[in-house]
Amino acid sequence: MTRVSRPAWQEKPTVAGRAGKGTVLTGVVLAVLVPLWVVLVTSLSSRETITAAGGLVVVPRGVDLSAYEIIFAGGQITRALAVSATVTLLGTAVSLVVTVLAAYGLSRPGSLGHRFLLFYFLMTFLVYPGMVPSYLVVTGLGLKDSLWSLVLPSAVSVFNLVVVRAFFQSLPGELLDSARIDGAGEFRILWRIVLPLSKAVVAVVGLFYAVGYWNVWFSALLYIDDNDKFPIQRVLQSFILAGQAPQTSGVAAGTALPPTLAVKMAVVVVTVVPIALVYPFIQRHFTRGVLVGAVKG
Amino acid sequence: MTSRRTLLTIAAIAGGGLLTGCGEKSTRGGATQQLDKLSALIPEARDVNLGIPPPDVIGTRPVADGYTRFPASLTDAISEKPGRGGAAIRGITPVWGPAPPAGRNNSYLVAVNDELGVPVEFSVQDGTSYADKIGALLGARDVPDLLCVPQWEVSKLARFGDAVNALFEDLTPHLRGAEVAPYPMLATFPAGAWRNSCWNEKLMAVPNPTDGPFPWVMFYRRDLFTKLGVKPPATIDELYRAGKEITKPRQGVWAFSDVFAMIQMYFKSPGAKDGWRRRPDGTPEFKYETPEFKAAAEFMAKLYREGLVHPDIVASRGADMKQLFQSGKLLITQDGMGAWQPMQAEQQNVTPGFDVQPLPLFPATGGDPLAWGDDEPISYTFLKKGLPKERVEEILRVINWCSAPFGTTEFQLREFGVEGKHHTRTATGPVKTDLGFKEIANQYFFISGRRPVIQPTPQTPKYVPEMLGYSNQTVKYLEKDPWDGLKLEMPARYKSGMTPFQDKFTDLVRGRRPFSDLDAIVKEWRAAGGDEARELMGRALADAGR
Repeated sequence: MTRVSRPAWQEKPTVAGRAGKGTVLTGVVLAVLVPLWVVLVTSLSSRETITAAGGLVVVPRGVDLSAYEIIFAGGQITRALAVSATVTLLGTAVSLVVTVLAAYGLSRPGSLGHRFLLFYFLMTFLVYPGMVPSYLVVTGLGLKDSLWSLVLPSAVSVFNLVVVRAFFQSLPGELLDSARIDGAGEFRILWRIVLPLSKAVVAVVGLFYAVGYWNVWFSALLYIDDNDKFPIQRVLQSFILAGQAPQTSGVAAGTALPPTLAVKMAVVVVTVVPIALVYPFIQRHFTRGVLVGAVKG
Repeated sequence: MTSRRTLLTIAAIAGGGLLTGCGEKSTRGGATQQLDKLSALIPEARDVNLGIPPPDVIGTRPVADGYTRFPASLTDAISEKPGRGGAAIRGITPVWGPAPPAGRNNSYLVAVNDELGVPVEFSVQDGTSYADKIGALLGARDVPDLLCVPQWEVSKLARFGDAVNALFEDLTPHLRGAEVAPYPMLATFPAGAWRNSCWNEKLMAVPNPTDGPFPWVMFYRRDLFTKLGVKPPATIDELYRAGKEITKPRQGVWAFSDVFAMIQMYFKSPGAKDGWRRRPDGTPEFKYETPEFKAAAEFMAKLYREGLVHPDIVASRGADMKQLFQSGKLLITQDGMGAWQPMQAEQQNVTPGFDVQPLPLFPATGGDPLAWGDDEPISYTFLKKGLPKERVEEILRVINWCSAPFGTTEFQLREFGVEGKHHTRTATGPVKTDLGFKEIANQYFFISGRRPVIQPTPQTPKYVPEMLGYSNQTVKYLEKDPWDGLKLEMPARYKSGMTPFQDKFTDLVRGRRPFSDLDAIVKEWRAAGGDEARELMGRALADAGR
């Protein structure tokens, strides 16, 4: 047998190599799945099981749905889920519209003031408005206690804008020129030519936005006073941190019973599941969408 | 995303400055003039005779008195409705747990508001991020009619004294001396609580007097100690030996959680004003610089090194000590006094014989023990500046109504809601229903005050005598605070260094860095704002003539 000189990666993988890869990948997968499993199992455990385990439960012992009964009986969780769903849908729609329009404008060479505008957008990477000025603007616009306060201040993410703009720039200019020759205006070009070619990047950026809106917490802390308009993350936080009253608060602050660990974990589950369900639908666009933005940035 | 750090940075820019408030104690010399000045500001103390039975257990101040039973009948304290049908009063209060429903969706609020004759509309905000929330409100000058500021948040808010001046109503003309007459419940508050409510030599807030001075208590599982035949430790050596005896990693049982604060107390490391004390020569020194702290850190490091602390706690910041303690995975923990009763009440239903007890305080080095603590109010209620006089009076009447003491119908409604709806009446007292737990979140408690008492707890009848027994024993050793009553605005650099340096010492005692680093860390701390803070603390004493 003659030895042919080939680079290492063209060799047939050895058994040891494959076993090694398998082990590492299994480890990575487990590192992701085990915590989720523990959260799920704990949320389905009875109080006795949790006390016996000394906290989080790894091995299930029977299924106890009482934690879910408790959180859905309150009305608070369902209301918060509805608020978060509204903010996510509304926010993602608003963000996608403004991001795509801005990115298209900035991607066309020679559009009015586009150098200045691009610089203006990029400046926000360096200079960020402080909390109090932001608060003054939001309250000054009369947005306090309105769900718009969770949407408008974060409607444009400059990072996403740059990704979409880079994608638009990668489209062949001839396509757009031919459309223009056929008499199409800018809006028609965007709608009929550019967007159909950009489904991947729009899907990915849409997912980024959606996850951001689903996770909104700090804006809600600042701008939402009405307890019935709290998004799910604020409610989740209140459940998870319940009972951690400062030590000096004496007996008075401890008069409400803190929720059990099962209840806390059940809230984690209902917070994670809805947004996790979106991923499988976007996944096929994921690699392409992100890579294009990355390489051409 | 705006981060909390951003807020801190903004706040820090303005830092510095010393705001000397008021609140001298008559027992201390050299400050008579200030004391006189303050005495003229605060309400005249007057008891109301409501025919409420006397307390069953008397507490040594600042420990509150306690009741072991609910009174057989309740007294009507206030006959007149406080409200004159004005517009809704907006209030912001903290909660540590799920926020209750708001407005008309909350039948408890509806019931109390009916009694008040003017609705109070609450925005109940998460207590753990409360400083961020109020920081934004103060910065943007967007304050509600009534704002509750917990005492422990005050030191986190930059230039709070200035904010108080600019944003809140001066209550001196309404409450000073005999002016308090229309609000008889407020006249029953301890004078110390009122003195703490003065800023810039004006009475600016209604205090919510504390019912217990101790920040930390060492708890142990008496049921498991008895089972194992281990005697509750009464010296530092016994504590160490008990730890050795209890720890059995194979059975998944360890002796301790992170009990560093209590160990510091045993070694008499200072705890007043976050860890400051006076050297014999009068200059201030911080606990990190004291031999007591070093000895405590050495002892704690030994507990970690020898594996007597539960490994979940070694590894993390936020392991659930309470859960491990409840499950008997660790037997000795430190917690606030407030943790005791709810834990006992809940866990005795899960684990038969469950018995949590505080470990009596002892000194590690001879002499008397040292107890950290203060008598600062739990919280302050501020009124928005610029409200018309009639409105201020209406709001003060509402606060007065909410401040009715234990044993009155007003207190019962405020604390337990409507009978048959939020609580059921039992032979031993009211028991909250699920609706009660959901809707009552101390809303009115946090916009008022009351003469503090420890209430009876029907599920845990022994709690009140046991808790007050421990408190009365321990209060004798309460550390004297040389800065008592002075309101200090610490330098920003010192403030921002507090947590990082605390983390460094955590690393040290947990064995993540060599113990020999201690002196170097202290040096670093001094350079990073520590000396600046010392200067300020010293000046504060000099200005106060102490």
